[in-house]
Amino acid sequence: MQRYILKLFLLIFCTFSLSILKGQQTQQIDEDEQVEKKQASDWYEENEVDINILFNYYDQDGDHAAVTGGIGTEELQSGAMKIIVNIPLDTVSILNIATYANVYSSASTDNIDTNVSSASKEDLRVQVDLGYTKKIGNRQSYTLKASGSTESDYVSKSIGGSWSMDSKDGNKQLELNAQAFFDNWVPIFPEELRGTAITLIPTTKRKSYNLGLNFSQVINKKLQVLLAAEIVYQKGLLSTPFHRVYFESEPLPRIEKLPSTKLKFPFGFRVNYFLNNYIILRSYYRYYVDNFGVKAHTASIEVPIKFSSFFSVYPFYRGHVQTASDYFLSHKKHVLSENFYTSDYDLSAFVSYKIGLGIRYKPVWGIGRFRVLSKKKITLFKGIDLRIAKYSRSDGLDAYMISTNFAFTME
Amino acid sequence: MRLRKQIAKAILLLVVTAVLSSCVSVAAYQKMHLNDKEMELNARKVEYFEINAASYREGAVGINGGKVGGGCGCN
Repeated sequence: MQRYILKLFLLIFCTFSLSILKGQQTQQIDEDEQVEKKQASDWYEENEVDINILFNYYDQDGDHAAVTGGIGTEELQSGAMKIIVNIPLDTVSILNIATYANVYSSASTDNIDTNVSSASKEDLRVQVDLGYTKKIGNRQSYTLKASGSTESDYVSKSIGGSWSMDSKDGNKQLELNAQAFFDNWVPIFPEELRGTAITLIPTTKRKSYNLGLNFSQVINKKLQVLLAAEIVYQKGLLSTPFHRVYFESEPLPRIEKLPSTKLKFPFGFRVNYFLNNYIILRSYYRYYVDNFGVKAHTASIEVPIKFSSFFSVYPFYRGHVQTASDYFLSHKKHVLSENFYTSDYDLSAFVSYKIGLGIRYKPVWGIGRFRVLSKKKITLFKGIDLRIAKYSRSDGLDAYMISTNFAFTME
Repeated sequence: MRLRKQIAKAILLLVVTAVLSSCVSVAAYQKMHLNDKEMELNARKVEYFEINAASYREGAVGINGGKVGGGCGCN
């Protein structure tokens, strides 16, 4: 399977590269000049400090918690905030800083033990991302990025980069990206299993490497598509140390056990169509396969309805169907002869859907202007995005979420 | 079953080839609709949290700007 995926990846890359080169040769010089002028003006507009402040509230409930072996409450509330700042360093390079904090309260992780600890009931996750993007000429750019995150039982560091190239006519773009994660678990085991041989794990480290390829293409004046593929290879501790698994012939549980390597291969596309001045269609499809036996189809559609150039409302629907992992069985269905086992319903066979509504309000001259940090610099409150969604899974898990994005520019 | 899969793959390949080969050259001044903010070929910033939640609650991840397994306890 690995060889097949690599061959497919290579084929896609070669096809798109040739496609870009071919497109470059057939364009007229005056079109090139127009595109270059437009790209230069786009870059000039981006030479302002952009700030996005995002908030999210998430509430879920279900009856198949992995912590308690596939039975028990999955009640969880989470509040999160992310601040993204893009700072232009000069006319061709931008520094990107993003900070993310997430506080959550989980009834299932509270069942790791009977005592309230920092690893249960309530937890905090913090992440910082740094990125540097540089434009090379009018058509190429590269990004270097690094990030770190921590929560009570998990520390992660990552490095990555991407490179993109536009065709001369600006109708095609090829992007390659790669990222490596170096994670370390601080293993926390179920209370009744602590100090027993069952909790012996070969490593606390997890490494993930992913390589992605995106190709976007303008089809005509109203239609454009994006094709995307990714390969992810993971090695190390891929199970969760506090997930219990109950066997049919044993009263005490064991901890979840999964193979130490995993290969994931998602690929898919986006198609956006400008139907008319009032309605746009945004669609997305992804096929996913991994060597744990999960195969999945995910599709979504959004229909932005534009009431004016700065105000739109978009209903959206997302459907997902997946097969179960080879290692999944429900509560007390596992047998002792199995090498790997989990009762995590996230890896079970299910159908899920998400339905919701989004609102985007972004007036041409912004919502308001004010001075902050510096008397010389004016901060423009550019616009608001709001999304409300309901997520439902066929095993009974339901979730509600609300997200906002407040966009600012410092001139 | 195998034949059906092969037919499905062939149809998909034909559709992709047909779509890509039907591309017309669109000049910069003709891109008024394509440059509309709603036509951007990526997930919205405000979707970030929903994509993150899906990476925890589902066995499938990737190609959407979300996490692919590193940096979290997700699948």
